[in-house]
Amino acid sequence: MGDNNIGKVLEREGFKYNFTAAASDTSAQDEVIKEQDRLLPIANVGRIMKQILPPNAKISKEAKETMQECVSEFISFVTGEASDKCHKEKRKTVNGDDICWALATLGFDDYSEPLKRYLHKYREFEGERANQNKGNNNTYENNIANI
Amino acid sequence: MDQNQHGQPTQEAVGKNQYQSNPMMAPTNPPSETIGPYVTSSFPREKQHAPQDIYQEQLNNFWAKQCQEIEETTDLRTHSLPYARIKKIMKADRDVRMVSAEAPVLFAKACEMFIMELTMKAWANAEDHRRRILQKSDIASAISKTDVFDFLEDIVPRDVGIPRSSIAQNFDLSMPPHQNVTYPPYYVPAMVTGRPIPDQNHHGP
Repeated sequence: MGDNNIGKVLEREGFKYNFTAAASDTSAQDEVIKEQDRLLPIANVGRIMKQILPPNAKISKEAKETMQECVSEFISFVTGEASDKCHKEKRKTVNGDDICWALATLGFDDYSEPLKRYLHKYREFEGERANQNKGNNNTYENNIANI
Repeated sequence: MDQNQHGQPTQEAVGKNQYQSNPMMAPTNPPSETIGPYVTSSFPREKQHAPQDIYQEQLNNFWAKQCQEIEETTDLRTHSLPYARIKKIMKADRDVRMVSAEAPVLFAKACEMFIMELTMKAWANAEDHRRRILQKSDIASAISKTDVFDFLEDIVPRDVGIPRSSIAQNFDLSMPPHQNVTYPPYYVPAMVTGRPIPDQNHHGP
């Protein structure tokens, strides 16, 4: 009796469960999702590529897909180097400084310096936001106390 | 003497084709490539190719502009690439345990710069071939010409970006084959004699 109700609720909420589906199907589905997640969105990549090109230029779909692959490889390559540094220094978290260091080590000197500046600005920005949030919380607590 | 008073070879010597003696050589006319209905010479001309230093100047301007943009950045919350996806790619590496919040933000900017730089270099190759459509081969060519992009060689194989004609030009066809080279004798392994191996599938008595 209760089971039927649960079934109705699931149906009403829009859930569709195929309990007879083979395990291999679900794993194959997961694999497809993983493959998608492995790359950055093609629209975003194409948009960045267009920014640097003249207005009359066109980009083939194959070129965009190649660029997607290249960017993912770039992230993995730099992350690997940064991760090795963390492992040697017995740290668990990869941070911005590790990435800047990895870029410089791997020969991306042109990237390293501007990104250090960008990281510095980001930290300042986050610090200001944290202070603002603290201030807001304090005023809220004061208001509660006054009540 | 076959030279005039200025020490220059005479017109007769200049006009003589140095390859005429070798009948196996290809004609000296420049190879042609067909682009649509037009046939054009693939040899560089002043109008056809922008000089290399122009591309270098563009690249320098690009990096200067990137630095300037970073200095002028006020809103760091707008981003052109999704942080969550970047984090997923980072965490695909088993060795990566935790990622700080600033890491994907920094990578989003780094990836933006990477895409732009690689696109610029690929576009230079497309312009050299007088194309307005950026192709995979242009990216392959840009990768093969830039040392720091060596890690991408597996993704875009080197021979994708190189036309067949340029590979052939690397070989000197005028050289005769080596005639005085002695090759090692061909080794014929001795026959192994012995009892035949019984058939495993045969279930006889």
